[in-house]
Amino acid sequence: MEDRNQEDLRELFERFTEPTEAEAAARDIRLADGMLAAYPVPEPRPEVIIGIKLQIATTLATPPAKPHRLRRVLAAAAAVIVMAILVLLGRDPQTNPQTSYATLIPTAIWESDDIATDDMDIAYLASEISHIEDQVRALEAGQTQDVRVATLHEVETALMQINTEFWRE
Amino acid sequence: MGEGTELARIIEGCRSGDAEAFAQIVDMYAGRCYGYFYRLTSDRDLSEELLSELFLRLVEKIRSYKGGAFESWLFRVSANIFHDHLRGRQRRKKLLDGRRTELELRPTGDRKSDDKDEKLDKLQIQLNRLDADTRELIVLRFYSGLSFKEIADQRSEPIGTALSKLHRGLKKLRELMEG
Repeated sequence: MEDRNQEDLRELFERFTEPTEAEAAARDIRLADGMLAAYPVPEPRPEVIIGIKLQIATTLATPPAKPHRLRRVLAAAAAVIVMAILVLLGRDPQTNPQTSYATLIPTAIWESDDIATDDMDIAYLASEISHIEDQVRALEAGQTQDVRVATLHEVETALMQINTEFWRE
Repeated sequence: MGEGTELARIIEGCRSGDAEAFAQIVDMYAGRCYGYFYRLTSDRDLSEELLSELFLRLVEKIRSYKGGAFESWLFRVSANIFHDHLRGRQRRKKLLDGRRTELELRPTGDRKSDDKDEKLDKLQIQLNRLDADTRELIVLRFYSGLSFKEIADQRSEPIGTALSKLHRGLKKLRELMEG
């Protein structure tokens, strides 16, 4: 490497040390640069470079995935579950055992013809719901108030994170 | 057309998703970035993998490049890729330690008689004897061509600290090479 943006090493060192020491330090660095230059690294193999260019072309030719739909689904699921937990924490499940239901699947999926993508979204959603159901069951099983609050905070944090990413798009 | 203007035109092509513009970036920087990875990993195959990862990540991230020194940005992405690799390596530490030991203990007589290979081995071995941070600093400066100010910015440390570390590191490397 020859170009160091035409840096004047001595001048640079002089900002921190005596002129004589600066001169010696600059000389040390120039000598070391020469030593490094005397040991060149092999070039990457041509087939690797061709492979990289092909991968780039393929990536650019592939339409981007649709992560926003998944995020929308997860945000909806998380919002419903947070509501459920808030209700659970605010009421005694023994005296108010009835369950509220809400639509989790967004209209976009119902109206979409992209079955493969929708299936994947729904699989993610089902997995997320299953996980949150476990958390709700644990709460219902009589965990202490501290654990309930910690779980609520955890879910709220997840929701905030999902929503932040969702609105960024 | 000046070099900077030409680079700006190519980058603009990349930002608009032109594969040919990316191919030009690959041609311009593959050698230096490969050198950077190779000197840090001592492994040709791994360096090629990291190089591929770098350019594919560039495709993803080119829109986040907000102007300024492109090389500084490029080598920041390279450094991130190297550090990601290091984190992944923790899980495979035993295996790679074995390979490093094998490299360091390899008898001189086993090496090819080719002079270039002999030199590469020597520099690589002595670089590997430096601490990781110093080695990375030396390699970054040499292969990126960045100024000390850009290097200090990238490492989030004062320029005097970067200068001092590099000076001590290069002196140590020279002693090892001459010893």
